[in-house]
Amino acid sequence: MGSRSSHAARIPDVDSIRRETGFSQASLIRLYHRFQALDRNEKGYLSRVDLQQIGALAVNPLGDRIIDSFFPDGSLRVDFPGFVRVLAHFRPVDDEDNGNRDPKEPEPLNSRMNKLRFAFQLYDLDRDGKISRHEMLQVLRLMVGVQVTEEQLESIADRTVQEADEDGDGAVSFLEFAKSLEKMNIEQKMSIRILK
Amino acid sequence: MNSYLPSTPHIQKLWNLQIQVEEKDDDTEESSSEEEEEENKLPRRESMRPKRKRTRDVIKEDDPEPEPEDEETRKAREKERRRRLKRGAEEEEEIDEEELERLKTELDEKRQVIATVKCKPWKMEKKIEVLREAKKFVNENEGALGKGKGKQWFAFKMMMAKKWAKFLRDFENFKAACVPWENKIKAIESQFGSSVASYFLFLRWMYGVNMVLFILTFSLIMLPEYLWGLPYGSLPRKTVPRAEEASAANFGVLYDFNGLAQYSVLFYGYYNNKRTIGWMNFRLPLSYFLVGIMCIGYSFLVVLRAMTKNIGDDGGGDDNTFNFSWKVFTSWDYLIGNPETADNKFNSITMNFREAIIEERAAQVEENIHLIRFLRFLANFFVFLTLGGSGYLIFWAVKRSQEFAQQDPDTLGWWEKNEMNMVMSLLGMFCPTLFDLFAELEDYHPLIALKWLLGRIFALLLGNLYVFILALMDEINNKIEEEKLVKANITLWEANMIKAYNASLSGNSTGPPFFVHPADVPRGPCWETMVGQEFVRLTVSDVLTTYVTILIGDFLRACFVRFCNYCWCWDLEYGYPSYTEFDISGNVLALIFNQGMIWMGSFFAPSLPGINILRLHTSMYFQCWAVMCCNVPEARVFKASRSNNFYLGMLLLILFLSTMPVLYMIVSLPPSFDCGPFSGKNRMFEVIGETLEQDFPSWMAKILRQLSNPGLVIAVVLVMALTIYYLNATAKGQKAANLDLKKKMKQQALENKLRNKKMAAARAAAAAGGH
Repeated sequence: MGSRSSHAARIPDVDSIRRETGFSQASLIRLYHRFQALDRNEKGYLSRVDLQQIGALAVNPLGDRIIDSFFPDGSLRVDFPGFVRVLAHFRPVDDEDNGNRDPKEPEPLNSRMNKLRFAFQLYDLDRDGKISRHEMLQVLRLMVGVQVTEEQLESIADRTVQEADEDGDGAVSFLEFAKSLEKMNIEQKMSIRILK
Repeated sequence: MNSYLPSTPHIQKLWNLQIQVEEKDDDTEESSSEEEEEENKLPRRESMRPKRKRTRDVIKEDDPEPEPEDEETRKAREKERRRRLKRGAEEEEEIDEEELERLKTELDEKRQVIATVKCKPWKMEKKIEVLREAKKFVNENEGALGKGKGKQWFAFKMMMAKKWAKFLRDFENFKAACVPWENKIKAIESQFGSSVASYFLFLRWMYGVNMVLFILTFSLIMLPEYLWGLPYGSLPRKTVPRAEEASAANFGVLYDFNGLAQYSVLFYGYYNNKRTIGWMNFRLPLSYFLVGIMCIGYSFLVVLRAMTKNIGDDGGGDDNTFNFSWKVFTSWDYLIGNPETADNKFNSITMNFREAIIEERAAQVEENIHLIRFLRFLANFFVFLTLGGSGYLIFWAVKRSQEFAQQDPDTLGWWEKNEMNMVMSLLGMFCPTLFDLFAELEDYHPLIALKWLLGRIFALLLGNLYVFILALMDEINNKIEEEKLVKANITLWEANMIKAYNASLSGNSTGPPFFVHPADVPRGPCWETMVGQEFVRLTVSDVLTTYVTILIGDFLRACFVRFCNYCWCWDLEYGYPSYTEFDISGNVLALIFNQGMIWMGSFFAPSLPGINILRLHTSMYFQCWAVMCCNVPEARVFKASRSNNFYLGMLLLILFLSTMPVLYMIVSLPPSFDCGPFSGKNRMFEVIGETLEQDFPSWMAKILRQLSNPGLVIAVVLVMALTIYYLNATAKGQKAANLDLKKKMKQQALENKLRNKKMAAARAAAAAGGH
């Protein structure tokens, strides 16, 4: 794998993808190879089955939800730009990026807010902008399984909602979610080191 | 469709040809410059637009015609261009304001065209032509924005800025591709979690530090002596003594770093004390001294820098307000790709939740606190006893070994000769298990328990270090005593030689000149080389011990468990002995202590960083293989990123402890009289004074002498102490203010919550009442 520019020419729309996501040419080529490796039958797009082959997603309790986030709006296929757009959320945050940025431009995909938004939509299944107690319980069940009793799970869910909820509506909105993770180093934890 | 191309056919052909040739050349260049302009100038409209799939070179018949405005603006452009060409001859004229404005708007228009032409639904040739024109316009007239005469310079500056940005980007790509072993570490991370991977990241970081030390010592000490110093055999210090010549090249002797290995650039004793060597007048003794000091200084700098960088990362998990939210949202380690590790992670998350619930309950129930405190006190008491016992054992072994040293070496058996090493190894093997046992009493969270364990083993190994240094100092003192005797002997020997020579001369009037072969000259015991040899031997034996332990303890055990499981009574894989887990604490401590040895020994054996580089390199590959092949993931998987500062803190302590003896030896022990670059001086640091006097102009020496006036030095030290005190006080004050603000924020948030709940309840009541 190298960053030979002749390969870049094979990726369609490489410059607009680069502008939108901020990936370097070498990273894009690497991602393209990965995309092609996942795309078993060389269809030119990925389906759910292809993504389920990835080992790390198969063992992940939220794996199905992560796969769903690749297919926005219920579509069944994701092409390379869509694939890269999701992965752009995990690009490490570069401090120089923020210094030179034009404030009129939309935030880059790997800003802290966008990373948190991505994480939020994994938990908020019905997309109503809030994580209700019921959704929290579902997440807990996925993560912990049958090893903890139901009543303990419910008390954990209650406690979590109680901690994060500020306006008393019994659910965690995106802003409350962001506030609860304020001290967490999201820029580092939600970044994949090799994606620059 | 071709109406906008010049009508004459041959120019049209020329035009097409030009398009093809030029586009090929600056494809990469143009795209990057495009990007630069895009980023600097225009709002990013691209991301909002839905992307159309590019179908290259397919010309559809139903492509819409270009908008008519294009024709007009294009014609206007042409007119402008021609006018400008005419005016270009008169470059000295100033361009007035409104021309400048119009130029600016046109430039902006052109840049927009460049940015959006790819998405326009035109034929390829048309797009290429429009793009070329626009770019040409921009390149020609960009410089015009700088007024008049500065036009060329401005255009040049813009071009250089673009090229520089492109170069920086390529360099970043190159740097990212150069990071070694990234794939290996990632594979380990996915199978074993981030705590094991943190050890390998630490190893790689150490490799980088050692590489710098190696480059310093190799290029500034070993290479000059090898290239420009006197060769082997020319001086007594560079030749194997006559008595040892026969066995100088035996493998056994070389393995002990005696014989030929001892009299080479690898060790301190080989270096000559001439002030300058070679045609460049390279000052070797000065360079030797300065490189030694620089290595220590660089190591301090780099460790402190790594620690301060990590302090920022520590900001996760210290706050207790969002304890459960964090556990729900951020417990999963997304780098895990192995089903077995995932199972372990599930268990650890469950355990985490259970612990958190218990902690919550325990915070409300206070009766057990005293029992826990008592148990912890008991555990610490036992640990203290163990440490004291091991310290006494080591002390007793040292005393005995000193007694044995007095006796004749042939009367000692194997045990007596190796008693000290055996005692230290046995202690190192059994005490950590004891510490683990005592830790059961304490019942801490695994992260905290690991820290306690690391701290205790560290204290134990400090005992080893103390013994080693003590033995070394003893040896050095012995050698210094011996040296005095040898000096006296040499004068006698010289007198004898001269008498013999004169006697042989009196027979013949002319004879061979007075010559003694260097191998025959009696030598002083070179204590620095001895110290260097000790450290090198220690490093080599450490490496072998580690590798043998891994091979036997991990690999053979894994083979045994795997293959004998078929014919064994109980299940070897689940019960005892099963596969080993990767011992993070043991490995990290071994790495840290070995690095301490390197820091201590590299002044006396310049080859030591080089040997360490080899060792770390092979260690990386060997341990990566061993981990993936023979180890299983730990039962308790926890994130170790916060412990990294802990490792670095221990490294800093060891660095401090290992430079103290070296500095003491440099400052207070006299160098040997016949070996090394400082031979003949009273103290090693006198080389600085000598350089100042001879190589610097006299006024500089005077100034420096004034600066080292004790009064001035005391004043400077006082000022530094006051500054430290002031900064410390400021930092404390700011921390207190920080805590205060945090408390206020928490209070505020609580009040808000209560108020909102009340309002929500009131609303609910009103709504219920309304129905």
